[in-house]
Amino acid sequence: MSYQSSNPLVGEVEFALDGPWAAYWIAFPTCRHRMVVLPPGITKIIESGFSYSYGAMYMQGMSDTALGGIPVWMGNNLAWLIEPGVPLFETLIGLALIAGAFTRLAAFGGVIFMTLFWVGNAGFGHGLVNSDFMGLLLFVTMIVLAAGRYYGLDAIIEKLDVVEQHPKLRYLLG
Amino acid sequence: MTDIIDKAAMALSAGLMLLGIVGMGILEVRRRAPYGPVPLTNEAGDVIATPLFSAQLRTGVVLAGIAVLGLYAAYKIVTPLAEDAQTGHETIAD
Repeated sequence: MSYQSSNPLVGEVEFALDGPWAAYWIAFPTCRHRMVVLPPGITKIIESGFSYSYGAMYMQGMSDTALGGIPVWMGNNLAWLIEPGVPLFETLIGLALIAGAFTRLAAFGGVIFMTLFWVGNAGFGHGLVNSDFMGLLLFVTMIVLAAGRYYGLDAIIEKLDVVEQHPKLRYLLG
Repeated sequence: MTDIIDKAAMALSAGLMLLGIVGMGILEVRRRAPYGPVPLTNEAGDVIATPLFSAQLRTGVVLAGIAVLGLYAAYKIVTPLAEDAQTGHETIAD
């Protein structure tokens, strides 16, 4: 970094240190987000195994949301899937994001979870933008920027022959 | 054609999300209390001020914007890849 001593606002600013800053900054906040998802999943498995009954109860209570009757119907009819699915998928999403493997697919799962948290928790006392919504936007960001390619296993997986032959797999990786 | 769809998806999703969060939020604040999407209650629990736009409406508009991005992703999956994208790789920004 260099600047004129007479006027520090004038001059060239060099951001590059040892590597590209954009790649670093895409990886850094997404790494933080990766660690947010895994502990709740593992904790649920430890405490309730794969029968997390609160998941179905939570969705049955989402009667007055923007998603209409869909969550309530799911809570009533898909409890067999929700009870094992919540701890299992939370854990798998967390592991995939930490490894940076199948990042877009995992982040899509994260979008589903965060949408249900954001709409269902309805903690809008301080406005519409809360931590659930920021988490939702960060998952979308991970999909758009293909965050797994930055210090993640997807950078290696995408060079495999199977991905070269089926390039659309990159929509699930990256 | 792809360019038009790209721009339309970006404009529509951003427009819906900004409308739900910023646009309706500004109108809510200008109308005074409760300044947010939650009804204001007194100590007895009675509602003394209701929001101009309900939380259901605002979250619905924002989710519609995110759904547009999802539809765009589905469109990209079903349409054939461009010739250069089949062998190439997106360049990592620096």
